[in-house]
Amino acid sequence: MRIAVCIKQVPSTNEVRMDPVTHTIVRDARQSVTNPFDSYAIELAVQLGQKLNAETWGISMGIPATERLLRDACARGLDKAMLLTDRAFAGADTLATAYTLSLGIGYMGGADLVLCGRMAVDGDTAQIGPELAEHLGIPHVTDVCEVIEATPTKLVVRRLIEGGTQRLTVRLPALLTVAKDINQPRMPSIAGVRYGLEAPFVALGAAELGADPAHIGLAGSPTQVVRTYVPERGGEAIALEGDAATLAERLLEIIEEVSGHGRA
Amino acid sequence: MPYTLIKPMTEEYQVYLRDESRTIGRAEAIAFVRNEAELAVVLAKAHADGTPVTLQGARTGLAAAAVPNGGLVINLMRMDRVTGLRRDAEGRFYIRLQPGVILSQLNKRIADKRFDTTGWDDSALAAYAAFKEAPEQFFTPDPTESSCSIGGMVACNASGARSYRYGPVREHVSALRLMLTDGQILTIDRGQVFARGRRLTLTTDQGRRLDIRLPDYTMPRTKNASGYYVKDDMDAIDLIIGSDGTLGVITQIEVALQPLPGAIWGAACFFERESQAIDFVIKVRQELDQVGALEFFDARCLKLLRTARAENPAFGGLPAIPEQRTCIYVELHCADEQEAARRLFGLGEMMTACGGDERDTWVCRTVFDRDKLIFFRHAAPECVNMIIDQRKKRDPVITKLGTDMAVPDRHLKEVMAMYHRDLEALGLEYAIWGHVGNNHVHVNVLPRTAEEHGRTKALYLEWAKTISQLGGSVSAEHGVGKLKAGFLRVMYGDDAISQMTALKRAFDPKGLLGVGNLFAPEGEGR
Repeated sequence: MRIAVCIKQVPSTNEVRMDPVTHTIVRDARQSVTNPFDSYAIELAVQLGQKLNAETWGISMGIPATERLLRDACARGLDKAMLLTDRAFAGADTLATAYTLSLGIGYMGGADLVLCGRMAVDGDTAQIGPELAEHLGIPHVTDVCEVIEATPTKLVVRRLIEGGTQRLTVRLPALLTVAKDINQPRMPSIAGVRYGLEAPFVALGAAELGADPAHIGLAGSPTQVVRTYVPERGGEAIALEGDAATLAERLLEIIEEVSGHGRA
Repeated sequence: MPYTLIKPMTEEYQVYLRDESRTIGRAEAIAFVRNEAELAVVLAKAHADGTPVTLQGARTGLAAAAVPNGGLVINLMRMDRVTGLRRDAEGRFYIRLQPGVILSQLNKRIADKRFDTTGWDDSALAAYAAFKEAPEQFFTPDPTESSCSIGGMVACNASGARSYRYGPVREHVSALRLMLTDGQILTIDRGQVFARGRRLTLTTDQGRRLDIRLPDYTMPRTKNASGYYVKDDMDAIDLIIGSDGTLGVITQIEVALQPLPGAIWGAACFFERESQAIDFVIKVRQELDQVGALEFFDARCLKLLRTARAENPAFGGLPAIPEQRTCIYVELHCADEQEAARRLFGLGEMMTACGGDERDTWVCRTVFDRDKLIFFRHAAPECVNMIIDQRKKRDPVITKLGTDMAVPDRHLKEVMAMYHRDLEALGLEYAIWGHVGNNHVHVNVLPRTAEEHGRTKALYLEWAKTISQLGGSVSAEHGVGKLKAGFLRVMYGDDAISQMTALKRAFDPKGLLGVGNLFAPEGEGR
């Protein structure tokens, strides 16, 4: 049995640099971290891997420096890691990324269970999981907050829905995106860090994956970022003076002005 | 209108009667000064009236130095500006601060390299431009409570986990301005004014000369924040640092920054037996140079944290704490990740040699893991505070009772054994954690009754005697304040206390500042 976890490198701060031409995030090795949501998927993979005696893989599409994060995931308990790295992958939107990841999972011989974080904290799309499941032709469940039962052939899970949760049974192979709080990601041990540095690792490019050039990178991305900008704050503070009645009156006027609604 | 600066101590200011030691004081008035000019006005009034003055920063101290003992409180938290940067000939950066700057905010500004430069002169702006281009810098002192003020840190010569490698605040202060009770200013740059033997002469900016006879005691050769720092031929600035708000009001502080190490990794190492953990500490101390911090958590402390995690949602974010009985946290400060990895594996081997297992560790190499470990390390005092606050409701006499004593390296095992033996003999509930690298752990007793509270205080006084005989310090980092003044008398004796009183009089002839700090009421500590 094989479990694959998708891992994304994201900037560690909110202050990202944007490429002035492509309007996409400039990714470099400095200050980059594992997408926090993915750390829950890694922990779930380690737990299910132990329970179901499955081989666990971390997989990422990214720059070569992403190897560091994949080895960190191995330090936390994954068995192996695969990095899909090629200049041809640059500028990929979620569709092209999901296609590329599906090739990687195919290369490892397919996976019985694919786990993703619910979204990445930089792009915030939450699209990769469902798109990857479609590319792989397997069912998916999003926002999983609990795995109630796990066998090599099916999972019983609970997922977050608006105002409550939903209990679902899903046959394997399948893909789950996991919510935070599904578990508490462990820290690696010294023994784990040793393992991480030596863990089996494979890096693959577009040619090795047999990728269709029309479906990868910027060329394979129907989403084009037209403009990115930091929203301007237009707030303004007004100091009000007077007794309580005057203040309340004035406050009401301001609320009406701002909301555009007159008094009923 | 200047005297409107001084406000009567009404209900709304009650919070300024206490600090983190949970001691409650009394005062008639309070002033929140914003600059030296306002401070001078307030001090002049107090000086003329002979009103006692207690200085206050963020009130995070654990020795009640900021808790007033009557009179006027001067709170300095509104003097909170970063007033400049300096770069010396060797390229080292120094930052000028008002006393009310909060440590966590300072650290953030340094990390973000972002300062409000309003009012900075050209040389400060030039240093700022160079600072922005320079490799990342940091201010090394890291007291557990990062909401403390810089002024408070200097007043008590604060330390933190990283003082194991970088020393206490003292070693990073390069200049100070001190306003005396008569409004005169002493400007002291490190390396400029020295004592001759035990005689020190200082001259205020206004020209008044202070002839000071330094006390003749010898300070312990351990981490120390007990009483005035005195030494033959000492630098004058060191007398002010750690003087617990008793000599003058610190109005400006310049501290040195250091380049941030390329890789800071932490490892929490768990052991079955405390003896194995202590052997590990001694081994790490002897064999590893790249250690930034070396911290200890005993079995009772870990148990407290396990319970808090299970029962209190506020502690739900703690990592699941293994069943082992003792934890040693080692922080590695290395040039790069390759070196950090080598040292980390070395730690694993040392663990094995001491009977541990390198699988029983938490390693933090990322921001997220670091946050988890910081939470783990800070949760112990928080847990104790919560328990004490509960018990205080039952019996107001009960307060937090934590020690702050340090001994020379060779006595570490002996004092750890003494702590456990004495506490168990009295049947007290306790937890021990702290800076084991400096043989400086905090014993925290959680008294269940007023009677236990009294027994604990008597025990601590006995320990103060033993620790002093072993060449240790009764307060290694919290300062003496009011709560440890009795211990100071035990540590140095009556003659030294009289000499300290004379020294204080040279700065503060009317004895107005920090009444109750350092000097215990007659009868205490005997």
